[in-house]
Amino acid sequence: MKRTLYFSCFLIGVMFVHAASAQSLLKKLKNKVSDAVSNTADKKTDNNSTTSSSSSGKPVNKGGGGLSNTPPPDVKAQMADAESAHAAKKYSDSRYALQQALMGVEIQLGNQILKSLPTTSDGLDADMTKDVVMSTQWGWSNLSIQRVWKNKSDKQLTMTVGNAGLYAGLAAMYFTNATMVETGNAKQNFKQVKVKGNKAIIQYEDSTGYTLIVSLGQSSMIVWECINFANEQEVMNTANSFDIDGIKKMLGEK
Amino acid sequence: MKAFIFLIAIVATVNVCLAQDFNKAMATAKTSYSAGKLEDAHFALQQAMQEVDLTIGKEVLKLLPPKLGAMQSTAKDDNVSSNVGFVGATIRRSYAQAKQSADIIIIDNSPLIAMTNAILNTPMLGMMSHGKDKIVKVQGYKARLEKQTGSTADKNSYELQIPLGSALFTFKVTDCTDSQILELADAIPLQQIAKLIE
Repeated sequence: MKRTLYFSCFLIGVMFVHAASAQSLLKKLKNKVSDAVSNTADKKTDNNSTTSSSSSGKPVNKGGGGLSNTPPPDVKAQMADAESAHAAKKYSDSRYALQQALMGVEIQLGNQILKSLPTTSDGLDADMTKDVVMSTQWGWSNLSIQRVWKNKSDKQLTMTVGNAGLYAGLAAMYFTNATMVETGNAKQNFKQVKVKGNKAIIQYEDSTGYTLIVSLGQSSMIVWECINFANEQEVMNTANSFDIDGIKKMLGEK
Repeated sequence: MKAFIFLIAIVATVNVCLAQDFNKAMATAKTSYSAGKLEDAHFALQQAMQEVDLTIGKEVLKLLPPKLGAMQSTAKDDNVSSNVGFVGATIRRSYAQAKQSADIIIIDNSPLIAMTNAILNTPMLGMMSHGKDKIVKVQGYKARLEKQTGSTADKNSYELQIPLGSALFTFKVTDCTDSQILELADAIPLQQIAKLIE
């Protein structure tokens, strides 16, 4: 019992440290999805691009076929595998099949959410080549969905929907911790707002523009990153134009 | 004899109950998925995974020896818990004899795995230790052995941490020497446990 308590305290302590920085929280979510976007974009570029030669004499890769895209797991087949492995007392195999089934379901859920997002937003067009649905079911995180809207004038909106229990919990703790609110300064960098009745944090930095984070229910969040938006009101109007209740319903949040 | 039969009956009942819970969760998952209720299917699959974790935990407990050296296991302290989310199942068994005690704790998807593996595989990190720990091998597995401050000057406690895939196996023994804890660890079937929980 004591050890369980110490372990829980350790986890809570880790959460508080992380909750002290909204930028750290956002960076983690961004990095996760950005890595996936970079990998997706890399697969679509010309593989015959040349690279500079290495000074060490080691050959430099100049191209290749890349990796073939594998389809998401077949949920029905994986559920059947999980049941037969469980009946045969191959519990490790059963667990693996369940993980695959969960990934398959999450990817389908993610695609549904992606389809529900608008193709235009605030005069910007969706860049479908940057659409991402990612599920890892691997320890600390699971589902992430991303879409980018942009125009030719460097104005861009990136929306990321994450069903990541750890980050959503941290964001919720941020919202309820009074010491995390910055007020009374000549120039505020972040503040609490609401988006369609949902608690949110909005942040502004000259180098990155506006970032709006909405916590949805117990384990999900939406992040809008707005580059070259005129002002806070434009960001809020854009966020309020999305069907947040619909996304919440699809994620099973209340 | 009667007590033995009674114990077998209880174990069999528990195993049937666990299987029923798993089957029930899978039935819900399949029905929900076919009806297009993805979120319900997702939740049911998570429930099924919890049941599998509990079953795996109980199988691991069966593999652990009932006795370690002169220490006897305390059955009432045996514990298996399953978590949905970032930490997997937690399995625990305790041993005791007179003033000496031992604990085995296995945590699947442990958040400490990355750090432990880094220490085991990075010579620089090993050199920066405070002199109370060292890297050893137990049944071919790299492990971190740490000396913990004992209650008296001549008695020490030791803790052994062994990464087994994504799980962390922790073995603590009080009132022993480093060779004694390693000898006790050799009696634990690590390879069979690793196969079950990987």
